[in-house]
Amino acid sequence: MNEFMEQFLLESRELIVQAIDDLMALEAKPGDKESLDGAFRAFHTLKGAAGIVEFAAMARTLHAAEDILALLRSSTGAVSPNVLNECLACLDLTSRWLDAMQANGGTPPTAEADADEMIARLAGSMDIDESEKAVAAIPPGGDWLNRLQNAAGDQFFGTLTAVRLVPDPEAFFHGKDPISAIASLPKLLIVDLAPTDPAISLEAMNTFSCNLEILALTRAPIGEIREALHGFGDRAEICQLIPSQMPALDADHLARATAILEAQIGLLREEELGGLLGRLASAGRASANTLRYIGKSALAAEIEAASAVALAQGKAGPLITAIETALQREATSTQSTNTPTAQIAASRALRVDMDRIDALVRLTGELLVVKNTIGHLARKLQNHEGPEAVSSALHDQHARFDRLTAELQRAVLRIRVLPLRTVFRRFPRLVREIAGDVGKTVRLIIEGEGTEADATIVDALFEPLLHVLRNAVDHGIETSAGRELAAKPAMGTVIVRGRQDAENILIEIEDDGAGIDVDRIRTVAAARGIASEEALSAMPDAEAVDLIFSAGFSTAATVTGLSGRGVGMDSVRAAVGRLGGTAGVRSRRGIGTTVSLVLPFSLMMTRVMTVEAAGQAFGLPLDSVLETTIVSRSAIAPIGSGRAFVLRERTIPLINLAEALGLTCDEADRQSAKIVVVSTSGQIGGLEVDRLGERLDVMLKPMEGLLGGMRSVSGTTLLGDGRVLVVLDLQELFA
Amino acid sequence: MTIALQDNVIRLIGSCPAEDGETLLQHLLTNPAAQIDWQGCESAHTTVIQVLLVSGRTVRGPAGGPFLERFIGPALARFNRQV
Repeated sequence: MNEFMEQFLLESRELIVQAIDDLMALEAKPGDKESLDGAFRAFHTLKGAAGIVEFAAMARTLHAAEDILALLRSSTGAVSPNVLNECLACLDLTSRWLDAMQANGGTPPTAEADADEMIARLAGSMDIDESEKAVAAIPPGGDWLNRLQNAAGDQFFGTLTAVRLVPDPEAFFHGKDPISAIASLPKLLIVDLAPTDPAISLEAMNTFSCNLEILALTRAPIGEIREALHGFGDRAEICQLIPSQMPALDADHLARATAILEAQIGLLREEELGGLLGRLASAGRASANTLRYIGKSALAAEIEAASAVALAQGKAGPLITAIETALQREATSTQSTNTPTAQIAASRALRVDMDRIDALVRLTGELLVVKNTIGHLARKLQNHEGPEAVSSALHDQHARFDRLTAELQRAVLRIRVLPLRTVFRRFPRLVREIAGDVGKTVRLIIEGEGTEADATIVDALFEPLLHVLRNAVDHGIETSAGRELAAKPAMGTVIVRGRQDAENILIEIEDDGAGIDVDRIRTVAAARGIASEEALSAMPDAEAVDLIFSAGFSTAATVTGLSGRGVGMDSVRAAVGRLGGTAGVRSRRGIGTTVSLVLPFSLMMTRVMTVEAAGQAFGLPLDSVLETTIVSRSAIAPIGSGRAFVLRERTIPLINLAEALGLTCDEADRQSAKIVVVSTSGQIGGLEVDRLGERLDVMLKPMEGLLGGMRSVSGTTLLGDGRVLVVLDLQELFA
Repeated sequence: MTIALQDNVIRLIGSCPAEDGETLLQHLLTNPAAQIDWQGCESAHTTVIQVLLVSGRTVRGPAGGPFLERFIGPALARFNRQV
């Protein structure tokens, strides 16, 4: 994809987001002039962008929406929800087109039909009177491309430019001669004419009014055509047809081509027929021409070469083989074009504040200075100049280097940061739609949308959050009748809250619904064999509620189209887990449910504290470390099968790290124990280690392959001396 | 004159301007059985072609001008077939 197209996609997506924001604001305050103006501007700019990349369907769809918004701007009344819905649907459609363009690089083949439908819906959403509609937009053309294809017949192949010109009825008064404008188009292939009103008769017609739809097909580039028809403005719809957009025709032509090639083989195989040389020459020519016709010049050349060989040898063999090869390749290439292209998650562009880039440039400059200084010091060492002076200078440079890499890391992370708003803002609409589908009224409150996190995390949050929201609306919030019985306001409330919590991002989805029925969870869990009945009845409520995250768990009595399709909350936990986060749930019967997701601020960098146990170095995530302490061994008391110690009048369970990891430990000779006090999932625990190390910023690599399933390990990184540092997952360690 | 009615044949001659649309229409309305002949017609304004299209009548050719012959003639014929 070229840069121009990337820019278009990027800008268009931003404009769509802006337009949605404004429309949503307009919905909240139907008379808000500012939001209306904002939405209008966004649609207008979006339409302009579509024009620049020559995406006619998108341009005219947005034009239709823009007209409606323009009309609303000039009227004083409030905006009706119906209009808003259609405008939002129009943005949805545009969004889908953009996705298709990003995936396939071209305008989607169904765009014209989609656009016609959308324009009709937009027009229908508002009582615009007929004359206004005519001026506002070119009348929809329906399947005009198909009509053009039928008219063009065999000429409809290769890259073409298609034109649909529906001149303004007043065109003749403006001195225009549309057909002669069409006549002047270069490389014209076909012209098709139809009156805009099919029922018109000679008796009823007005010769001074232009009521024609003119279709034309040319081989000239779209730019030239656009230029030539510039005077007709929006009344000319121009689009480029690339071969992939003509599947029906291609398939038809290919079938015919295949039939011709097969017939040639049959002809060549007929031993009884005489005149082999004549048959060879004609079969060779026919096959080559056929292949050329369907644009396979390379294959045609091969056939010609084979035909020459066959003629020289007086044998049909080489030509038959060549034609068969051509047929095979033809078949495979058709197959490959017919299979839908896999939707590869396209790398997306990120808008970055110029200041952040400047900071990087400045850091690069400073790093260069350090590099030069180190080079200089290395030369000094080579020349055996006073090692003391060199080592002290080296030490200084290391300190500078250290500072700079830290700054660089921060600067790079800042680039990748996005506010949660980018994902949160899609929810008000979705929640409204979901609530509408299940016949509930729900209001969504969003808090802390300014909280920032790594772009990868923010992007990946949409799916799991949507899932939780669906559950909240579908299963959490009661029906209005149910809510009234429970003496709650008829309208349910769902709050999505984001905030930064130390190195983590905390997202909570809270609803004021019925809460989770713990007994029902136990029943279902037992029925599904998730845990034994004894274990379930012994399980505390909080733990039982957590079972909703178990694979294949779904308790909804009815399966709705929204949730409860067997893809349960386990997918949420898995998605969050992939991002290095955790998912939890709290629920109070009759009061509501809160699902909380804890995610790392960044996927890239983790701060760890190194410790040693049984002679090996391990990393502990620094955000879990509360403090380090040394406790006399006599103060450690055995409790059941475990051990514990008291810290500031609080009993803290203690694990020996070496023991927990299955390493041999040797603690008898030591009087005191070095303990790292850590907190995981709100619980505090102590880890006994042999030695406390240093604090490090590391780029953590998750465990892959055979080591992927290893428990208690969250990843590895390389230490300065080349050793591998294993960073532990404390939650699993204490589990 | 670029439109002439003679022996129940309406002839388009030379380059027919915008006004000829109305002239042609009047001829057609007053002579429902008249034939149309554009062998002498080099080019015609959209108004004229629009009347030809709506009339649905066969035009006697070949047209004088290459654009009319190659593009407009077939377009009129296709439209007439559909109607």
